[in-house]
Amino acid sequence: MKYSKLFLALITGAMLLPNAHAEVDVDALIKQAERAAYYAGNDGRADARMMIVDNQDRKQMRQFTILRKDVEDNGDQKMMVFFSRPTDVKDTVFRVEKHADTDVDDDRWLYLPALDLVKRISAGDKRTSFVGSHFFYEDVSGRAVSQDNFTLQEETAERYILKAVPKQPDTVEFAHYVVEIDKATSLPVVINFFKSDGTNYRRVESVQIETVQGFPTVLRSKVSDLTNGGYTLMEFRGTEYNIDLPEDVFSERSLRTPPMQWLK
Amino acid sequence: MNTLSGKLVAISTHKPLWIYAILLLLTLGVGSQIPRITIDTDPENMLAADHPARAFHNETKANFAMYDAIVVGVVNEADANGVYNQTSLTDIFDLTKSILAIDGVVDADLMSISTVDNISQAGPGTIRFEWMMPEAPVSDAAAQQVQANIERLPLLYDTLVSQNGKAAAIYVPIVDKNESYRIAEEIRATIATFDGTAQWYITGLPVAEDQFGFEMFVQMGISAPLAGLTIFILLFIFFRNIPLISAPMIVAMATVIVTMGLLIGFGYTVHIMSSMIAIFLMPIAVVDSVHILSEFSDRYKPGEDLKAVVEEVVGHLFTPMLYTSVTSSVGFFSLMLTPIPPVQIFGAFVGFGILFAFLVTITFIPAYLSRMSEASLAKLQAAMHEDGAGQGSAIARMARGLGKLATGRQGVLLAAFGVVFVVSAWGVTQIQINDNPVRWFKSDHEIRVADRVLNENFAGTYNAYLVLTDRSEQATAASMLQRDDMPASLAEWKNDTLTAINNGASGEQLQNLIVAIDDKLFSDLTDDEMAYLNNVMAAAEKANSQSKTFQQPEVLTYIESLQKALASSGLVGKSNALPDVVKVVNRELRSGEPQDYQLPDSGNAVAQTLLQYQSSHRPNDLWHFVTPDYRSALVWLQLTSGDNQDMTAVINVVNEYIATHPLPAGIEADWAGKAYLNVVWQENMVAGMLDSLLGAFIMVFIMMIVLFRSFVYGILAMLPLTITITFIYGLIGIVGKDYDMPIAVLSALTLGLSVDFAIHFLERAKATFIATQSVKQTMALMFEEPATAISRNALVIALGFTPLLFAPLVPYITVGVFLASIMAVSALVTLLLLPAVMSLGHKIVFKSAK
Repeated sequence: MKYSKLFLALITGAMLLPNAHAEVDVDALIKQAERAAYYAGNDGRADARMMIVDNQDRKQMRQFTILRKDVEDNGDQKMMVFFSRPTDVKDTVFRVEKHADTDVDDDRWLYLPALDLVKRISAGDKRTSFVGSHFFYEDVSGRAVSQDNFTLQEETAERYILKAVPKQPDTVEFAHYVVEIDKATSLPVVINFFKSDGTNYRRVESVQIETVQGFPTVLRSKVSDLTNGGYTLMEFRGTEYNIDLPEDVFSERSLRTPPMQWLK
Repeated sequence: MNTLSGKLVAISTHKPLWIYAILLLLTLGVGSQIPRITIDTDPENMLAADHPARAFHNETKANFAMYDAIVVGVVNEADANGVYNQTSLTDIFDLTKSILAIDGVVDADLMSISTVDNISQAGPGTIRFEWMMPEAPVSDAAAQQVQANIERLPLLYDTLVSQNGKAAAIYVPIVDKNESYRIAEEIRATIATFDGTAQWYITGLPVAEDQFGFEMFVQMGISAPLAGLTIFILLFIFFRNIPLISAPMIVAMATVIVTMGLLIGFGYTVHIMSSMIAIFLMPIAVVDSVHILSEFSDRYKPGEDLKAVVEEVVGHLFTPMLYTSVTSSVGFFSLMLTPIPPVQIFGAFVGFGILFAFLVTITFIPAYLSRMSEASLAKLQAAMHEDGAGQGSAIARMARGLGKLATGRQGVLLAAFGVVFVVSAWGVTQIQINDNPVRWFKSDHEIRVADRVLNENFAGTYNAYLVLTDRSEQATAASMLQRDDMPASLAEWKNDTLTAINNGASGEQLQNLIVAIDDKLFSDLTDDEMAYLNNVMAAAEKANSQSKTFQQPEVLTYIESLQKALASSGLVGKSNALPDVVKVVNRELRSGEPQDYQLPDSGNAVAQTLLQYQSSHRPNDLWHFVTPDYRSALVWLQLTSGDNQDMTAVINVVNEYIATHPLPAGIEADWAGKAYLNVVWQENMVAGMLDSLLGAFIMVFIMMIVLFRSFVYGILAMLPLTITITFIYGLIGIVGKDYDMPIAVLSALTLGLSVDFAIHFLERAKATFIATQSVKQTMALMFEEPATAISRNALVIALGFTPLLFAPLVPYITVGVFLASIMAVSALVTLLLLPAVMSLGHKIVFKSAK
């Protein structure tokens, strides 16, 4: 499904930028990874279940359905997140219009049913928690690969290992990250984030990858806080691609009136 | 002298080298443990590790993910805008960045203007989440925008920046408080590079504790040797013979080294109380030796059999010395009745030290004397007899003066003592029990200064936590799954699921059940199975929602009202709790205007509001106010004072509020936080000290009756110390000095020390009366040598404690002042009151001696 891919792609995609290594075209590599992770098919859906586990092993569950439609591969994208559990946040909806142009902020809306409220969100940056989990909003929507400079660090039999350095270091909390791209699927499988003193404080992993409708798809991914402990495990089910989601599913109307046929 | 002690002394005088060897080996052997010393400066240790209040405090810290924090404060008085100017905020920004790079800092929980989020309106219908200060402000105008933003956020206002805008704070949570010194030093190094006009302060409990540990070492390194030196000088003035007075010094050193070595060897940490052991033991250990030396130098005539004289002198003094040592140690051992571990250990080891000193005195001193050269002995004699015009006579003259007063004005004296006693007893009822570990530093200490400045500017740096917990029964997974419509085909699934759920956290049963059903619903199911699972799911979801007590608006409203009551009491700088979080987010989700600063009307609305709050840079801040299962919530009270009286007043306000406004059903309230723990150990201390004082009083009284084989003498022996203790504590009450830990500890132990004078006085008076059969003559003789000896000993002990006056920490000074005055007062009372009472009541007192 899209999300899982989405998800990983986001992460990976974001990081990739070209660099001259003898035979490897880094630019092409990261574009391809971004596509594999976030742009599989033209659209897609998935049911996600997130388990947020703190360093005392206390758990919180969040369940939601993600619908995604690409405007253009490696480009703009529309996304809806419909929450179903826990019941007290049921029918909460996020609506996102992602813009590939890094100078343009994503458009984001929020619907809170219990407050009967639609609100536009203007986020100062994208590296804020996604509903209290260890995932950042940017991990879910995808960090544009144009925001970082990539260099190929190492190539193994299975993976390309690239180092990404942010072009605007003041806007992010990391100094650099190292992403490992699986050659077989082009999916980023491990991303380690480092601080300027070299501490590896955060890790995003693809725990389980399977092929769905011919698309390598991440079915389980995990983000770990390596400093304070705690992690979030996200599982995807019911993943489908190229389901011809109608345009109006991604409209404001869907916030208050969820498109039920796509949600289960 | 009984035969056992006689043999002991005989061995000592005949095999002195053996005694030397044993003492040396013992001292070196046990003393070798001293380098393993561990200092303990944590005031929490005033309560046993398993004390319910302390256990709950630590549980609360864990449940709400709280760490000990270093507080960095900056005050800018020079700028009209306070800290809201480009330079100050830039300094805060840079310092925060450098602090985040320090190892051992809990980055995620660091609170600074540049690490918190701002929630605001970015236009009509648009909410904006962003860093409060993502970069150093580019102008003073940008700095003032920060001010406008912070003042909109009640959780930050008055906590991160003061209301007057002059002060800002950075709260630096640290993983291990033993690292606080290093971290504080690194912070200081960065601050030193700033050239603005602002003043910087560093405080916080970990820093204070660290500083305290350091100053304890200073105290032990300086005050204890100084006490030794003072005693040495006093002894030299009395005896003018260095070889002779070396003996008591050796007894004192050996006692201190063996006692501290044992304490450390047994694995006990050295707390503020135990750090005073050396100072307590030195004067006490010397006193018995002084008795022996005094009497020996009086009795010994050149040419006599040295060993015989020594044995006679020691034999003569054995019983009174034994009793004074035992009574002193009983005073200290009685401290073991207090429920405060550091005080128990202190009492146990000082008590041991006193008995050990007695043993060393009656073995080592005879051994030492028996090996003194003829030349030294001759010099001693010369010194003692030349002493006619020296200090000794001053003391003797003073003693005789007291004697005239005591025997000449008995009625007036007794009336005066009666009045003093009554007034003092009233004074005791006026005692204010109050303590605050920060006040253990002197008032001009940088910790005290920082404490004062920050509490003047902010809502308070002292924390107390009111923890509200729903302890009502929750629905179990088993009860949810137990339905008549369960298809038999699911029996195995049900058993497996229950087993798995029962192995998980009990508070997460319903959530885990929902996950398990959700998983099962993805498999191939019959219609019956599907229906059953959906039914269970619906019931479990409903129960799970209902179990989240602290999402319910009525519960939050209760907390909100309680916070209002606290605010209007004026006793609390500020309270922070879940309703504040919900109200801010609700306001910004709606209009951003003050009228929307209120709680939403349903549990779901609260949940959805909090979901937004968690979509920030600091999602886990929520868990400082509520646990993830929403079954327990915390109200964080900021107090400007850590005095337990102030905290007690807050507790009373809350108790009254709860009494008139009952807590919502199922919810219980408990306290945590250092300010509260202080109250608990203070209460323990008062109750414990009363037990300990009464216990010691009764023990000593019984021992006196046994010693003198007379009830009347028992009462006489207790009389001076009763009046002394009442007088001293009455004075504390009348003067208004807070009754704090050091003062409390002194009560029981002075009892054991001050009875010494009475024992010596009564023993000698009884013996003298038997010899003279005349009350008048007895009293006259008593104010010759015996009164002089008592005065001399009082001086040794009192002056021996005076180096504490130069200690860097207030408790040491308090102990020094009070022990010195207690010794002086009790010697005085003994010498005035006992002769007066004995003369007036001579018919009863001396009846048996006739």
